Amino acid sequence: MKFTVIKNLQKDSAMSLILKGLLFFILLYVVSDIFVMKSSFGISAEAVSSTLFGSEEAYIDPINESSFLEFWHTQIFFIMMILLTLSAVFIRVAKRSRTVLTNILMISALISLISLPLAFYTSKFFIDIYVMGYFLWHIVAIYMIFYSFWKLNARSV
Amino acid sequence: MQEAYKLSILYYLAFSLLLIFSAIMLFEHKIGFSFSGVLEYYTGNEEKFIPAQSVGGILKIVLPHIFVFGLFAMVLLHFLVFADLRYKKNITLLVYTAFIVALLEIFTPFMIIGGFEFFAYIKLFSFFTFLTLLLYISWLLFQSITKE
Repeated sequence: MKFTVIKNLQKDSAMSLILKGLLFFILLYVVSDIFVMKSSFGISAEAVSSTLFGSEEAYIDPINESSFLEFWHTQIFFIMMILLTLSAVFIRVAKRSRTVLTNILMISALISLISLPLAFYTSKFFIDIYVMGYFLWHIVAIYMIFYSFWKLNARSV
Repeated sequence: MQEAYKLSILYYLAFSLLLIFSAIMLFEHKIGFSFSGVLEYYTGNEEKFIPAQSVGGILKIVLPHIFVFGLFAMVLLHFLVFADLRYKKNITLLVYTAFIVALLEIFTPFMIIGGFEFFAYIKLFSFFTFLTLLLYISWLLFQSITKE
């Protein structure tokens, strides 16, 4: 977290490069997450629904509670760490839109994580909210990564 | 501390609460909060068709938790520095207790399958103490951030 107190990141070429490397790996994670989720849990409302509740037509068994809780627990940890790191970099380099975008990123991620167990335990209605929240935080995260890259290449941040 | 960083930490605290909640749900579902539940989960129960855990099986669960407990506790505790709580005397005690209790929580299953049934109590005690400490640290941070 040393980068949060460096006055001019552009002049500190080593720290700037380290942050670019970190951002690149966060980008890789966020993009890969979409592909992994597509092939495992599902990223559309229908796919998520058949993972959670099964599908007779596609011969898919519903996920058991134990596996679901493990999946949810793991997701919370990874998302919180990724988003904390990304928001710390973004807040350091961005000026005007940082509060709004950080709020959108965090709230959409929290909504998607909270709506997942609500969908599993209460109503299928929350699946749509989960999918919307999931894509919103991914889109905002990707925007924040590219914006941070751009700002790190700018004259001074 | 900048307002935007405070926001970031507040959201981290919200995620932490969610993580603690999911940990309680997972523990309750897989193991249970009773002495017999913990014992049965690790040593098995033929009547209930619960297989005993092996060292390898426990290690599989323990391995990611060693890293995660350390990282999670470190991130949460290091925010105390940003919130200017580091000079308080009880913070040192809090840091020591958090890491020691986390260690106990992680490694007691090995003692349970080794025949030391008493460690089922320590498993339960360390699980709840660790979570309580995390909640207490979160509360300290929340208070400090909102007061500034």
